[in-house]
Amino acid sequence: MSLIKISNLSKTYQSNGLSTPVLHQVSFEINEQEFVTIMGPSGSGKTTLMHILGFLERQSTGDYKFKGKNVENFDDNYLAKLRNEEVGFVFQAFNLLPRTTVLDNVKLPLLYSKKKNHDLLARKALESVGLGSRLNYYTNQISGGEKQRVAIARALVTNPAVIFADEPTGNLDSKSGNTVLYLLQQLNKQGRTIILVTHEAETANHAKRIIKIKDGAIISDQAVHKRVFATANTELIK
Amino acid sequence: MNLKTSLFLAFHSIKRGNKGTLFMTILIMTLAYVNLVFVSSIFGGIVQAINNEAINNQYSNIVITPAVNNIYIKKNHAEQRLSSLPGVQAVATHYVNQAIIKYDKNRDGNDIQKGRWTIKSINPKQEEKVTDIYKSMVAGSYLKATDRNQIILGRDISGAYGSDLEYLSLGVKVGDQVDVYFSNGVKRTYTVKGIFKTKNTQVNQSAFITKGEMESVLRVYNRSSEILVKTKNISSEGMVIREIRRSGFKTEDIKKWSALMGFTSGASKSFDMISIILGAIGTIVAGITIFIIIFVSVVNKRKQIGILKAIGMREGTIVAYFVIQALFYGLVGVLLGISLILFVVRPLFISNPLDFPVGWVSLKITFNIIKISNISLLSAALIGGFFPAYKGAKRSILNSIWG
Repeated sequence: MSLIKISNLSKTYQSNGLSTPVLHQVSFEINEQEFVTIMGPSGSGKTTLMHILGFLERQSTGDYKFKGKNVENFDDNYLAKLRNEEVGFVFQAFNLLPRTTVLDNVKLPLLYSKKKNHDLLARKALESVGLGSRLNYYTNQISGGEKQRVAIARALVTNPAVIFADEPTGNLDSKSGNTVLYLLQQLNKQGRTIILVTHEAETANHAKRIIKIKDGAIISDQAVHKRVFATANTELIK
Repeated sequence: MNLKTSLFLAFHSIKRGNKGTLFMTILIMTLAYVNLVFVSSIFGGIVQAINNEAINNQYSNIVITPAVNNIYIKKNHAEQRLSSLPGVQAVATHYVNQAIIKYDKNRDGNDIQKGRWTIKSINPKQEEKVTDIYKSMVAGSYLKATDRNQIILGRDISGAYGSDLEYLSLGVKVGDQVDVYFSNGVKRTYTVKGIFKTKNTQVNQSAFITKGEMESVLRVYNRSSEILVKTKNISSEGMVIREIRRSGFKTEDIKKWSALMGFTSGASKSFDMISIILGAIGTIVAGITIFIIIFVSVVNKRKQIGILKAIGMREGTIVAYFVIQALFYGLVGVLLGISLILFVVRPLFISNPLDFPVGWVSLKITFNIIKISNISLLSAALIGGFFPAYKGAKRSILNSIWG
């Protein structure tokens, strides 16, 4: 059974009587443990697609099944539960809470879950991204690359089924970006499903499969033949 | 809704937020609370001052007047009988007479000042145990039981001493002689022995002579037109009235002081109304202040709200997060406000009461005022915090994160 299955999914935004179609009849499946890149130029609809897949917004038409269940039937509270337990997000702009420690940022999703030992889980998640020594730093005291790694730790701390990464290297230098991609590949290796959204071909090639999207429609969906493997920065990742 | 999460976020936000804003918010809440308690308490204090004046200088706790169609209370040894009743602290009997008092300054029949005033007789020693007139002498001295041709006047009769009715007063001083024409036609000349001044206008428009003198004028003995009964405790007035009835005062008119306070009752209702209006305005201002503070907080944390929702927090948890902050401001305001009222404002007013025309006014802080003020401020915080929080939490995740 596929983890994600969308069929003829469309999205149109309505504003002041104007309709702006963003996605047209998009269909694909993503299985567990896949590492998929959704790639396309700016304005192609890739981020909107990720938002729909990550339960941040709903499609206008079409079907979306998550673990075999039709998402359309879920109410807002259930979608919130899914966002907390089944998915993790890594955004380009990090979206960490200001004036909050690294540890507290990572503990935040756990506050809402039924999991015990929040402190321990958050520490483990941070250690896995090489930030075990930055636990009590505030988010304004760490670098951009470290912020993104905190975001990755926050995304995986609840042990979600899938991690969505929206242009995760977009705000980072190449060294930090490489570290982030390395972490995502490691998480996939450990069995986690990763969906990466990017407009850069080089970044996209770190995945196993690329779904190309243009003007809201899929133009190709194929495996990566020459996959790029990020290298670990041993100074950062333990 | 996950209260634990809301509490964590709220206190984290307070702890890590701008300290200046926190201080100002709490200061506003504290002052709003002090305002709520102060307004109600000062009006309560005014009413209490009026009541105290009435009890201490005019009516005491219970007033006994003759039965219908009787001029006097016809009970022999009334004072002794009443004094021995349980709950009674002291008793004072009065003869009351309406008389014309004339003052001819030069004793030449020209420029005579006169007016109709109430003259009461007192037994000075007995009276001291029931009213505070003896403490209120502003000139001359109080009466002695043996005084015969002496009179003491309220300041509104004598004039001066801040009299409210200067244009009606006689303009007499201690040592001057006045002619008194009693209602039974008897005329006596008295020397003004003293002038008293209370905060009670009706008392200031009275004059006092001794009981022996009045009995010689009226030619009655061992009677009274009015008996004032001071109870040991204000709460025992009802019980004492029942005891008085049981002791044989079956047909006399017996009233508590409060039943004779028509003016105060009306004023008290008006003060209550003003207090409610000012309290409501204060509460609304506090609510709007909280609304603005939480609204600004919600606007500033718009992105944070989006992130919280993106990682799975429900709207209820986010609403509670801001409402808890609002309640925190309200609660700290209440606690600091109570401390300020009880440990600063109240002692200050006790040691320096306000000099109102109706009496010395202090704050009358009751449990009820505290309770209503607490509920008002916390409700204002709750409502003021809820609406902006609800509006912020209702925004879509994407709109919140990216605008």
